[in-house]
Amino acid sequence: MRILIVDDEPLARSRLAALLRDLPGCEVAGEAGNGIQALEQVQALEPDVVLLDIRMPGMDGIEAARHLSTLETPPAVIFTTAYDDYALAAFETCALDYLLKPIRQERLARALENCHRLTRAQLATLQQAGARDGATVQPEARSHISARVKGGLRLVPVEDICFFHADQKYVTVGYLDGEVLIDESLKSLEKEFGDRFVRIHRNALVARARIMGLEKDREGRCRIILRDCARRLEISRRHLPDIRRQLR
Amino acid sequence: MKQPEKQCEHMYLPDLCGVRTVLTLVVVAELFVFVLALGTPAGSDVDRWTRLGLISLFVQWITLFSSSLLCLARRHLCRLRAPGVTLVAFAIILGTTALFSELTWWLYYRVVFHHPHAWHYDFLARNLLVATIVSGLVLRYFYVQQQWRRNLRAESESRMQALQARIRPHFLFNSMNTIASLVRAAPDTAERTVEDLADLFRAALGDERKLIPVSEELALCRRYLDIEALRLGERLQVDWSLSPLPDSARIPPLCLQPLIENAIYHGIEPRTEGGRLVIRAEADDRQVVLTVRNPLAGDGGDKGARRQGNQLALANIRERLAVHFGEAAQLRMGEEDGCFVVTLVLPAAPPAEEALA
Repeated sequence: MRILIVDDEPLARSRLAALLRDLPGCEVAGEAGNGIQALEQVQALEPDVVLLDIRMPGMDGIEAARHLSTLETPPAVIFTTAYDDYALAAFETCALDYLLKPIRQERLARALENCHRLTRAQLATLQQAGARDGATVQPEARSHISARVKGGLRLVPVEDICFFHADQKYVTVGYLDGEVLIDESLKSLEKEFGDRFVRIHRNALVARARIMGLEKDREGRCRIILRDCARRLEISRRHLPDIRRQLR
Repeated sequence: MKQPEKQCEHMYLPDLCGVRTVLTLVVVAELFVFVLALGTPAGSDVDRWTRLGLISLFVQWITLFSSSLLCLARRHLCRLRAPGVTLVAFAIILGTTALFSELTWWLYYRVVFHHPHAWHYDFLARNLLVATIVSGLVLRYFYVQQQWRRNLRAESESRMQALQARIRPHFLFNSMNTIASLVRAAPDTAERTVEDLADLFRAALGDERKLIPVSEELALCRRYLDIEALRLGERLQVDWSLSPLPDSARIPPLCLQPLIENAIYHGIEPRTEGGRLVIRAEADDRQVVLTVRNPLAGDGGDKGARRQGNQLALANIRERLAVHFGEAAQLRMGEEDGCFVVTLVLPAAPPAEEALA
């Protein structure tokens, strides 16, 4: 069984590595110091199991697990933490296994025997609970959006995103370096990022901070001008007064 | 029924819909009736037992009727403060008393005895006066009882918070994990870390009312930072800039350390690249100024999500400083050139009465 260790503290990683060395059939595939590194390593090394610390800088463990679950063959995840009482309560409610640091070897062995992939429902509960108290690093919303592209997972930082545009089955994410497709609903995105993105049409959300102005096209429809974004999305009549008010 | 009860915590009247409360009220009212009956000499117009029965009937009617009115009104009463509740309660009780007095007078004196006007107003006025006095006593009793309960709860809560402000579970378990990692690889460091942790906990569990020299507090902070340095590695850098401090300068134990802990929790840990803490101590004849400076969390940090425990820790420090030094000590915080700066100002010498204590 190949295992990836993810923890921001070098000493915590080395202890886990030492514990795993003594367990038969276990092999440390690699180590990562934060969520973003963890996603890179998972794609490069394809481990069977990820031991994932919850509180980490950059991207916390709970968000990393959410992105991992979008992979085609996600690894099993076991969370580790020293002390996060609210997150732990959420773990209990969605029947997730977690390890409390300092981790006992027999407890680790048992967790590795029983580990399995996380379901989306479990992850959603976790994210909400982690957000409520700020015991985890991230506020409620993710710091990145993950999209499956050829050759792996692309992480788009939320601050780079200009718009979400729904298009039949998928949502197009327009960001500084281009566009990617994701399999999420505008409604859930609006709920998660409501403070940063505003709805301008039944099929579009745009970054509030990037709104520069409005223009009218030849047919008299209103379109929005976004900073660093060539695409001019249409504003529906229903949302127009709202956007005007924000521009003032 | 749970929901309204929860919003009603500040209300001093007990839940008068409850069977136990009603039973208590009935018993108390009956005792009062005995007092009334015993207070009248024998040989009045009716015999003593009849009299007891009649007064019981009258008083219990008023008690039960007004308590059920208060029970029904409870949800609305919740919106009022204590004086409002008292006024409404009085109004209900006196209104009920007046109503039943009139009914009684009409039935008993008019229908049964055919005394058309005997003592009508006297009867009404006496009843209202007695009702005012008794319900005043009962309301006062409820109020005092609720205050007592509230104080008890506040006291146990604040004790718990004070303890949590000094011992953060987060730090304890992280340190334990660090030690567990070190035991095999670097036993000497592990040993030293256990000693540091022991010192910190001795201070945390010791008498928090005692003052210690500022230099001792700074030594504790060093122990704390040694432990955190093991955990965070290169991500934590600390600059110390300490001027000589007067020996007389005192501080309640673990007032500076939680500020450094906050700085690490909010300023260093959320940053992938880590950061630098600057700890400065300066002194003149009048005061000692301690500052802790940390970088702001930056992107991906928990700018908005200040932990509640953190606020409690700050409140606890403020409170302890105020107890010892009053206005002479200050705790200030603010942003300055992209850094978060906390400043702790202490008098250079503690006030005289502290020497006696």
